[in-house]
Amino acid sequence: MASGMYRLVYYSRNHIAHNEATFGSHVEEILEKSRINNQRDEITGALLFNAGCFAQVLEGPLDKVEAAFERIQQDERHGDVSLLALDPIDRRSFPNWAMGFIGTSDIHAKRFAGIGLSSGFDPSRLSGDEIHALLRDLAIEEEAA
Amino acid sequence: MNVATPFPQITQAHPAGIPSAEQILELLPRPVLVVGSDGLVTYANTASMTSLAAVVGSEMHDLFPGCALNLATMTGAPSSLLVSRDSENFDAAIAALGAGQFLIDLRPSLHAQCADKPSGLDELTGLTKRNALLAYLSSALCTGPASSVAVHCLDLDRFKMINDTLGHAVGDLLLKKVADRLTAACHKDDIVARIGGDEFVVLQRHVEEEGAAETLASRIVDLIGRTYVIHGHTVNIGVSVGVAIGTNAVQARDLLRNGDLALYEAKKAGRGRYSMFKNGMDALLFARREMEIDLRRALALKQFKLNYQPFINVTSNRVDGFEALLRWEHPVKGNIPPLSFISLAEENGLIVKIGEWVMRTACVEAMSWPGEMIVAVNVSPLQFKADTLLDTVATALKRSGLPAHRLEIEITEGALLDDTDNVIQTLNSLRELGVKISMDDFGTGYSSLSYLQKFPFNKIKIDRSFVASDDADSEAILRSIAGLGASLGMAITAEGVETAEQLSRIRGERCTHVQGYLTGRPMGMDQIPAFLAQNDVE
Ligand SMILES: Cc1cc2nc3c(=O)[nH]c(=O)nc-3n(C[C@H](O)[C@H](O)[C@H](O)COP(=O)(O)O)c2cc1C
Repeated sequence: MASGMYRLVYYSRNHIAHNEATFGSHVEEILEKSRINNQRDEITGALLFNAGCFAQVLEGPLDKVEAAFERIQQDERHGDVSLLALDPIDRRSFPNWAMGFIGTSDIHAKRFAGIGLSSGFDPSRLSGDEIHALLRDLAIEEEAA
Repeated sequence: MNVATPFPQITQAHPAGIPSAEQILELLPRPVLVVGSDGLVTYANTASMTSLAAVVGSEMHDLFPGCALNLATMTGAPSSLLVSRDSENFDAAIAALGAGQFLIDLRPSLHAQCADKPSGLDELTGLTKRNALLAYLSSALCTGPASSVAVHCLDLDRFKMINDTLGHAVGDLLLKKVADRLTAACHKDDIVARIGGDEFVVLQRHVEEEGAAETLASRIVDLIGRTYVIHGHTVNIGVSVGVAIGTNAVQARDLLRNGDLALYEAKKAGRGRYSMFKNGMDALLFARREMEIDLRRALALKQFKLNYQPFINVTSNRVDGFEALLRWEHPVKGNIPPLSFISLAEENGLIVKIGEWVMRTACVEAMSWPGEMIVAVNVSPLQFKADTLLDTVATALKRSGLPAHRLEIEITEGALLDDTDNVIQTLNSLRELGVKISMDDFGTGYSSLSYLQKFPFNKIKIDRSFVASDDADSEAILRSIAGLGASLGMAITAEGVETAEQLSRIRGERCTHVQGYLTGRPMGMDQIPAFLAQNDVE
C-alpha cells in the first residue's frame, strides 16, 4: 500500500497504579519499546503523561502509524483511548524524536503551570491540534535546553 | 532419534528376520507418542513427525492446542478426541507406562474428519472455523471438568454499516483486527473461532476461578469497542457477548446455544455489553420463538382483525372518526393484546408487513362509513425506516378509493428520534398526498417541544395518564399542552376518558376531541352502524 505521511493524536486514561515507582518503570518500558519499534517503523512523535492521562502524537507512514496505533490500542496499561486527529501531513513536527516523553522535568512543570496543570491539567479538554501544538512546543524547548 | 526414556522391551534382542518393536513403531502409519506427566513428548514415531510435526521435547498443548489434557484421568478411557494444529481429529487411546510416562496412540478420527477436512482455518482471519470449534469444545467438555470451560458468543455491532459505507476491503481488514484483538485478549490455551460473517466464538479454559469468564467477557467488550484506524479511516464498532459456562449435563452444541441465548439478551439490553447465560433463558426464548412462528403465520391465516374506537369532537358532540386498533385472534391462545406482540414484530421486522395490512384494511373498511368519517391508523417507527411507508399509504388510498383527507396517520415521538430529517421528509410527502398526521401518546416520551416545531401536526393526542389522574400537576400539564396545541393550530385529543367527571374537566381545557371508554369502546366493524345510529339520536 502506498503510504503517505500522517499524524495521529490521541489521549487515554492511564490504568497503571499511581504508585510512583511502578509508574516510572512502566513508562520506562513503554518508552524503550516505543523507541525501538518507532525507529524501525520511521515513526516519530511525543508522549505526554499527566493527571492520569496519556496524550500522544505519532507521525509517519500511514500503514506504520496504523499498525503502531493498533498495538497501542491493545495495551492494558491504558484505556478509554480517544482518537483526536488523524490527518495527512507534509512534514514532521518531531523529526528527531523516535518517542519523546514529556512530563517530569522542571522546564515542563513550569510550562504546565502556565496552562493550569497544577489544578489538574486534563488533556481530554484539549483538541488534537492543541495537544499537537503543546507537545511540539515542549519538544522544541527540550531540544534547546 | 533421541529417545529420552528407553523402553527395555524395545532394545531386547530379536530372532533374525523379525523386526524389532521399535522398527514396527516407526513403520506404523499412525502417530504414537510417549508423554511425561508434564506434557512433554519423550518419544515420537515417524508418523507423528509427519502428521503432527511432533518431536521429542514438543509440548502436548502445542501439538493439540486448546485440548485440556489430563493424562491421568484419560488413561484407560475408551478414547478421547484430540484436535491437532491442522484441525485434524484423532481418537486418542492413552495407557500409563509407569514412572509418570503415558503412551498415546492416535487414530485419525474417521467420521469427524470428513466433516472437518474441507474447513481448516478461516482464510481471512486464520481463526478456527465452526466444525473445529465444535470438536475442540466436545473434547474440552469430556476431558476436563465441564465447569472449567466457558464459551463466549460474539456479535459485532454496526459491522454491516461499516461494510456498506467503507467497502468490503475495509470490512475485511476490520475483521482481521478484531481477530487479532480477540487473540490478544485470550490465553494461549483458549480457542478463538470465526463462525460467520461477523460472529466469533471464544472457547475459554481454566475458568474455575470465580469471575474468570466475566473478566474475559468485559475485557473483550472493552478491547473490541476501542477505535480502529484502517486506511486512514477511523472506525468504531462495538461487540455484544453472551457467555455460557459448561456443566456436566451439556453437550458442545447446547453450550453454544446457551451462549447464543445470552448473546440475544446482551443485544436486547442495548448491545455493547456481555450477558451471562442463566437457566430459564431458554424457556423464555422458546416462548418468543414460538410466538414469532405464530406471528409469521398470522397474516397468512387471517388471524388479525381491526377494531375501531371512536373519537368525539367536543364542540359538535359528534363522532369525527375511529382509530383502527389491531387485534390478534390466536386460534389456541385466544386474543393476544398488541402490547405482547408489537415489540416482537418490531424486533424481527414483521411490523412492516403487518403495518401494510393494517393500512390497506383500514382504508377499505373506512370506505363503508357514512359522510366524512376519518380513520386513524398507527404507524410504527420501523415503518419509516423501511422506506416503503409513502408507497404503502398511496397504494392503500388508491385501491380503496378513500379520499386522502379521511386518513389520519398517528406516529409516536419514537419515529422522530433517529434520522429525523428523513422522517420529516416522509411526513411532508404524506401531507402532500392530503393525509392528516397526528402525534400520539404525547407526554410519555421525550415530549420535546422541538418536534412540534419541526412538523406541523394536525393533531396532538395527550396521553391517558394526564387524563386519568386528577392531581394539580397533571391538570396543569394537560392545560398547557392543549393551550400550546391550540396556539399552533393543532387539534387536541384527550385519550383515555372514562368518566363523566373527566369529560367535563377536558371540556374546560381547550381539548378539541376526546377518546375513551366513556365515549365509545373499541368495537368490531359490524358494530359501527348501530353505534353511529345511537350516537345520532343522542
Ligand atoms: C501510552 C502508551 C504509548 C505507547 N506508545 C508506543 C509507540 O509509540 N510505539 C510502540 O511501538 N509502542 C508503544 N506502546 C507500546 C505498545 O502498546 C505495545 O506494547 C508495543 O508496541 C508492543 O511491541 P512488540 O510487539 O514489539 O512487543 C505504547 C504503550 C502505551 C501504554
